[in-house]
Amino acid sequence: MKKEKITVTRRDFIRGSVGATLGFTLLGPEWLKGAVSSDSRSSVVIVRDKNAMDSALNVDKQVLENMLEQTLLHVTGKKNRNEAWLELVSPQDIIGLVPTPLMNPTHDELIDVIKESLVSAGIPAENIRNAQGRSVDLEPITALISLPGLKAHWLTGIGTVIKNYILYSGAPRNYHHQNSTKLGEIWNLPQVKGKTKLVLVDALHPVCDKGPQVDPRYRWPYNGLIAGMDPVAVEAVCLKIIMAKREELRGEPWPLSPPPICVEAADKIYKLGNSDLNTIDIETIGWAEDLLV
Amino acid sequence: MTISRYFFFFFTLFCVLYFPLSLGEACVMKPEEINLPDTIDGWKLERVPKRIEKTNIFDYMNGAGELYLSYHFDHLAVYEYKNKSGNDIVVELYTMKDPQDAFGLLSMDWGGEPVNLGEPEKRKFIKAIIPQNRALYGKGLLRVWSDNLYIRIMAFKDMPGVKEVILRLGEIITAGRGHPSPPEMLHSVKISTDSPWTLRKDRTAYFRSYLVLNSLFYISHENILNLDLSTEAVIVTYERELESREKQTARLVVIKYPDQERAVTALDSFFKAYLPDQKSKVMPDRERESQGFFHIEDGWMGFRLSGRGLALVFECPDKQSAQEMIEQALLDSLSN
Repeated sequence: MKKEKITVTRRDFIRGSVGATLGFTLLGPEWLKGAVSSDSRSSVVIVRDKNAMDSALNVDKQVLENMLEQTLLHVTGKKNRNEAWLELVSPQDIIGLVPTPLMNPTHDELIDVIKESLVSAGIPAENIRNAQGRSVDLEPITALISLPGLKAHWLTGIGTVIKNYILYSGAPRNYHHQNSTKLGEIWNLPQVKGKTKLVLVDALHPVCDKGPQVDPRYRWPYNGLIAGMDPVAVEAVCLKIIMAKREELRGEPWPLSPPPICVEAADKIYKLGNSDLNTIDIETIGWAEDLLV
Repeated sequence: MTISRYFFFFFTLFCVLYFPLSLGEACVMKPEEINLPDTIDGWKLERVPKRIEKTNIFDYMNGAGELYLSYHFDHLAVYEYKNKSGNDIVVELYTMKDPQDAFGLLSMDWGGEPVNLGEPEKRKFIKAIIPQNRALYGKGLLRVWSDNLYIRIMAFKDMPGVKEVILRLGEIITAGRGHPSPPEMLHSVKISTDSPWTLRKDRTAYFRSYLVLNSLFYISHENILNLDLSTEAVIVTYERELESREKQTARLVVIKYPDQERAVTALDSFFKAYLPDQKSKVMPDRERESQGFFHIEDGWMGFRLSGRGLALVFECPDKQSAQEMIEQALLDSLSN
């Protein structure tokens, strides 16, 4: 029997019944049926250094290297950087780095220090590729490292972690409208599913308003990296930071609009991880001023 | 001059003018565009300006293109200046088919420092529900409504002296251009002086698309009000301070459809999606004005349908406020 179409509205969002409504409306493909919901806790690490950028917003690569090392050690629990990388990937992996290309692009310096760090851990340089874009052949890639820039988004509320793979869909515009709630399904595509070994958000200079284009009034030097292995948990923490910054800027409630329903859907429908902050352990390292979590 | 010389002269002129413009038509400027200076205070205009059309706007700005296509977009011209240190100033000139669409783009965010780029004082908006600004500057970004142009000039690094360069570029671009009035649609909201509710002029926006509406005030991820390029709408925010000093806000959305049939259909669609439990209680009357108020999760909401105009209020603390707020919509003014 054909399901009746139910529309997600503001009322669902206020009632907190978005997940239930989406459950009725999003018809999952066959490969989604095997997805398993995580009932365990997730960990997210925030590493900050107030000297990561100078007053002219130039990135200090040495400071960034140290921040990356701290991030890796705390995400994996290993004692040194090389062990940490080898906990996440192996020298046999073909590794795809997935930075954000537009709006708030991932800093080149971050991509560089990650490449250098991987190589020094014994990953052959030729095994490290840029994997952002719709023309990327994902078949040979065995490990993805998602490197989005922290930003709000005018069509999806937040446009950081879950949205970072939108070009893999081959039809990004299909996810700009009502189907933005379905962004999580891209992570379950056969050529993507299970390949993400680390989500590392560039939160050096985030954007807290939706855009659609960058407005410098809504950027601020957070000087941070936010990382974890649960993409939804990392997104949820990013969301909290963005929402806190918005209220701070305006001095009044300034909710994200549209609400970032794709985050809850990524959890409740697509089973990609935990979106509830009560199930996320946030570990903070370094500069604590204006942490916003 | 002989005929063959005339032919040679005009043929050469044709080749010089035509062929450079015909190569990669989508990304090369046409000659009617605004002439910007080659250099300004040490900043040098780089390369050939880009021309972005509807067909390649997503290549240039990904999903942000949806915003411009939500209004009557014609094309975008992009110029880039660089200084000796390699810093950039990007000038984006969005040519819209109508001035009200360029206005709509500015109205999405009235924040920033108001700047005057040479606009005559007499052009200021009288008794308007919007701020008195056509140009706003903040941290290296200038946004301007100038006739049918929406202008964004942005320095990627806000450094000493860059504001002056950006404002000068704004003056050059807007010089001699018209200063049309804001959209008539803004007159569909009354300015009330005897209400405890204050109209937040800096939150008023003009739009045509549910995507823009959702970015200002979320209603649904689907287009349940049937908005499109043939519709016009305005959203207004009201605010009042309680004894506890806490502030309450409520919204009024007024929409003009091309005809009454479209307005009735839209209201029907809205009821089905937003008020499915109320659908049977209030049926839009095609002959007479319809009105209703409902208590839902975020307070009282209400609607009024009259002719081709539809007004909706949201987040009102009580029915009386909802009724009072819907009275602010002058739907009769939309009949022409």
